[in-house]
Amino acid sequence: MRPVSLRLLIVILALGAFLCGPALWLRGTSGQRRVRPRPVQTRPRSPATDYSKFLHTTKQHQAECLTCHNIPTSNSLEVRGYPDVADYPGHDACVSCHRRQFFRGAKPPICSVCHSKVSPRDDVRFAFRKPESARQFQVEFPHDTHQDVIAQRFTEVPNATFFVRASFSSRRRQQQTQQYNNCEICHAPRTAPPPAAAGGWIDGFTPDALTLKSMPANHGSCFNCHWKSEQPVKEDCGGCHRLPTPADQITSTDVPKRISMKFRHGREQHVMECTACHINITRSGTLRDLRPDVPISACSECHNKAPSHLEISDELAAIDKKRDFVCVYCHTSDVGKLEPPSGHYLIAERLPLKRRDIK
Amino acid sequence: MVTASLRKPISFCVLLLLLAPGAVSQTSVSAETPRGVIRLRVRVAQGDKARGLPRKRFFLIKGSLADHKTLVDQLERQQIVTRDCYYRNQGASTALIDWLAENDCESVYCREIELKNVEGIQAVPEFQRAVAAGEKEFGNRELARKWLTVNLAKELRSGFYKARQQRLTRFISQIENAGQTRVASVMTDRNGTAYFTDIEPGIYIISNLLPIEIGNNSSLWNCQVTIKAGDLATERPFLIGNPGNKDPRDAKNIKCVSVEKPLPVCESRVR
Repeated sequence: MRPVSLRLLIVILALGAFLCGPALWLRGTSGQRRVRPRPVQTRPRSPATDYSKFLHTTKQHQAECLTCHNIPTSNSLEVRGYPDVADYPGHDACVSCHRRQFFRGAKPPICSVCHSKVSPRDDVRFAFRKPESARQFQVEFPHDTHQDVIAQRFTEVPNATFFVRASFSSRRRQQQTQQYNNCEICHAPRTAPPPAAAGGWIDGFTPDALTLKSMPANHGSCFNCHWKSEQPVKEDCGGCHRLPTPADQITSTDVPKRISMKFRHGREQHVMECTACHINITRSGTLRDLRPDVPISACSECHNKAPSHLEISDELAAIDKKRDFVCVYCHTSDVGKLEPPSGHYLIAERLPLKRRDIK
Repeated sequence: MVTASLRKPISFCVLLLLLAPGAVSQTSVSAETPRGVIRLRVRVAQGDKARGLPRKRFFLIKGSLADHKTLVDQLERQQIVTRDCYYRNQGASTALIDWLAENDCESVYCREIELKNVEGIQAVPEFQRAVAAGEKEFGNRELARKWLTVNLAKELRSGFYKARQQRLTRFISQIENAGQTRVASVMTDRNGTAYFTDIEPGIYIISNLLPIEIGNNSSLWNCQVTIKAGDLATERPFLIGNPGNKDPRDAKNIKCVSVEKPLPVCESRVR
């Protein structure tokens, strides 16, 4: 190599080092920045993640409830009339992990988890809990324990009379007028018909307000005893709410599964103590596998009585004549078209039949 | 065409033997193993007219009285703490004890605590204090009355129930550990009726495990019953009573009578 070329090469290298050195140094520092610990992403950064839906089943969302929720919320007395969780957790509960999602686009989808309007100038939120969203928790409620707690002591004072409010009254009459706590603490008569199930009512049969009893729809039925002291108390959400296992089915509708849809609880002749028909409820320690286990004998006392009330026998006789007859006196067609249980035949003092055996 | 019906009594008896108690429920129960049902009826009296014993829990224990002789002896020997005595021992006021007695209640959860129970001459001091505390906490007197029990001392709130539950749990664990079977339980309805359903055929004891206060006595039932496959709830109930039940309607049907003892005397303080 000639000396001129060598000198030229040295100059080029020196110049290159001079020009590129700072750039390489900067690149190195920016690389260091890149390996700094970054906020933990709660969800895989998959484009499929729908941040407009909040799920308690997400692993990172399974911290203690009080990490996010306030109990009670400041608006609860105004909204509910009693201390309760009546509002969504504050922004802090979300931002610590989801800062990135908070500033994505003009209308970040994550805002619509709580906010009915997505706008920095509007903080209007949905009612809590979001009315149309699916329930995420299974509720644990031991009917047996609660039945025991309201138990009475038995006192029999036959034929006794005593002075009550300036009149003589029998002890028995007094007992009949006293209203003891019973299932109606939680299952009061409805004031309005139940909402239609998804897909509408079967056969277009619309139950009225007297058909079904109500179910507890909020914490009001629980906190009046379990606010504090009596376990599970308000902070122990897991005492009642449990994330479902895959095998569980969350009772998410306001209308329970009915066998005899046309039975009306509020009909005068049907008004009696709930346990007279729901015979297994007092031994039920959980809501799971709760069955509408009313014995047919509860019905047949009146509905298989000659001469005018032989509804059970008459419908069985109708099947004898036409094997695809649908029993409609108590049932909608989804149940009425099935094989009558053997108990129905027993009540009618008959041998059980299969529809397919009827010619 | 299949014949419409078999209404003769003989046929019905055959039916009873043939049909499994899946018949009992509107929901079809698996009929692989025939199961039985007990329709328990508890009627008690201290005179000529008996009435159903409401809201009392009864237990179904697999095995005969001979199998459970030790347990039955234990149950009969147990010392009971009466409701009044429990509350007196907890320092309850006479007004609270009277409120419980007046309403036949074992606990304050038995019925609504009315306005007259927190104000005026019928006021119960414990209720008044709880309402005052609630009013301070919630800023609303009516809410404080409705949520009164949250501010009651736990001994007065649920102590009697929990003390009985502890004893029950001990007995049930003892039975279940010894027999490797679960003890079923049901509570009687307003008429004193309760159903044990879906029972494996065999010999059982129906017991209330803890004596029940009836008037000035305590009653303990340990009744042996045999369940056959196909025993159905539509059959005659298994009627049990107390020695005081002389009601002519029940006289011939009572299958088992309780062991009755006078309630122990309670010597304790009253505020």
